[in-house]
Amino acid sequence: MSSGQQASIDDELKAFLEGPVSVLVGTRDSRLVPEITRAWGPRVFDRQRVSLCVPLATSGKTLDNLESNGEIAVTFSLPTNYRTIQLKGRLSETAEPAETDLAAVERHRDGFATVNEARGQSRQRIEAFWQAEIETSDVLVKILFVPEQIFDQTPGPGAGRRI
Amino acid sequence: MSAAPPLAVALESIAACFEGVIPSSICSCSANGTPNVTSLSIVNLIDSRHVGLSYQFFNKTRENILQNPFVQVLVISPETVRQYRLDLRYERTETAGAVFDRVKTRLDAIASQTGMSRVFNLRGVDIFEVLDCRPMNAKFSGEELPRVDLLPQIEEFTARLAACGSLESLISVSLDALSALFGYDHSFLMVPDEDGRRLFTLGSRGFGESGVGSEAWIGEGILGVAAQRREVVRTSSLSREVLYSSAVRSSVERRGEDSLLEREISLPGLPQVESQLAVPLVVQDRLLGILCLQSAAAGRFLSGDERVVRIAARQMAASMALLERAESGVLHDASQPPPAPQPAAASTIRHYQSDDSIFIDDAYLIKGIAGRIFWKLLQSYARSGRVDFSNKELRLDASLQLPDFKDNLEARLILLRRRLQEHCDFIGLTPAGRGHFRLDVQRHLTLEEQ
Repeated sequence: MSSGQQASIDDELKAFLEGPVSVLVGTRDSRLVPEITRAWGPRVFDRQRVSLCVPLATSGKTLDNLESNGEIAVTFSLPTNYRTIQLKGRLSETAEPAETDLAAVERHRDGFATVNEARGQSRQRIEAFWQAEIETSDVLVKILFVPEQIFDQTPGPGAGRRI
Repeated sequence: MSAAPPLAVALESIAACFEGVIPSSICSCSANGTPNVTSLSIVNLIDSRHVGLSYQFFNKTRENILQNPFVQVLVISPETVRQYRLDLRYERTETAGAVFDRVKTRLDAIASQTGMSRVFNLRGVDIFEVLDCRPMNAKFSGEELPRVDLLPQIEEFTARLAACGSLESLISVSLDALSALFGYDHSFLMVPDEDGRRLFTLGSRGFGESGVGSEAWIGEGILGVAAQRREVVRTSSLSREVLYSSAVRSSVERRGEDSLLEREISLPGLPQVESQLAVPLVVQDRLLGILCLQSAAAGRFLSGDERVVRIAARQMAASMALLERAESGVLHDASQPPPAPQPAAASTIRHYQSDDSIFIDDAYLIKGIAGRIFWKLLQSYARSGRVDFSNKELRLDASLQLPDFKDNLEARLILLRRRLQEHCDFIGLTPAGRGHFRLDVQRHLTLEEQ
């Protein structure tokens, strides 16, 4: 259950969360069955709110879950060094993405392709990866949420440490 | 128990997703309804309805599955980069048995390679029932599995091996055949030394330098752990595994637990190994060697390759054991030494008793038992001009102090012959019929004992 508190995201963390990270969203239904989806274009506002865009085609159940209980966990992981941060919080709202949100998605996809290119993955392959998510519909939905807890999830014995 | 309905996507049809080429993600949920998402290095395919996840550290995922058995895993196909959701229900944790051993050997091998064997400790393998598996975007279905019939190549491989009359030709023919028939272009074969503590390279294909004579400790690193446990270790994305280990290493350092860390060791072979398949050569529980295939491409060796190479390695091991038996049965018939060739130039050969190392004109050649054997041959040659020798007389020569490990003499002679071929153009060891060989010397030699 949510703690009802708000976590504060400093500038360094904001830069990491808005960087070329892999973004995975976890939600759950009323029977506590989890659902994962991949999100793009994360943005941090006022140190306290985070927005993401998810493809409608891959995220129907995620959106239903958020609608019904609002519980959300999002993991941000940098492919080049495995630094991983998890935010847990509650949904504020879902909305149609604005131009600035779509621009953030483009920037994010470009950055994500660039860091993976440096690791030997072709840009074409990375583009095929997110293109497949929007193969049946290119509609994106914006999720705005308030993080209540922040965890350092970098692999190892200390993973899960609350920040 | 009634049969469960088939999965939307059969796990076998997306087998490449379970090779650890691209990391997977898992979402669990606590009893009070808070989801948790984290990444997984590999999801192990157990059977058509089960997967296994390694349990190393007690973390939030672990806490959650004990409260609520439902989790979802997202896997990515390294071939098509398509994503699949697996709905899972936690069933049990295995702490022994075949599945546990397989996961543990792989984990320990990589941990040893990266100096993390006291950090990575497999506590168990959590077994999950797969309730459903479906594409992330509803438009996809399962992937077409390429069916490749390799039986003709396997038959050809065994035929080529059957024609080999010596360990040396066996090694050279089998490494050539692995490349020509299956496209495994980078391979090397290591054999254990007399006291079973180290492996040394006896033959290789597809590397800039042959690496013949290079060594690895048994029990250390990926090859050493595979050899020690007589288990296959297959890695599909080594740079990612090393990166993952580095992240853990940094986190251990930040906690001030540096004493848990050991040194990282370098892997022989390609400078940029991504995929590696290490297969021990075992006959009746005796380790005869280890075959190692490498590739700079991630995901090069999949489970089908492993099966093929297991067959090839068994065949190689059985042939090695047969040759060893045949060779030891041959009696030495002493032949008269032909006259020594006319030396054209002069060289000094130095032997250091402390480690039996041999230097030719101040350049290192070899050490250990092979060095001792070489020195013995050279002394005999210097004394009487003798050039024909037999394996049998070396075995019976007490001054060589050969361990009672009959198959290894020939391996040592091959090593010596290869080192001479690569580093000395005026002394050679030429096979002269089964169990016999000739010392060819093209220079005047001065022997110095240190």
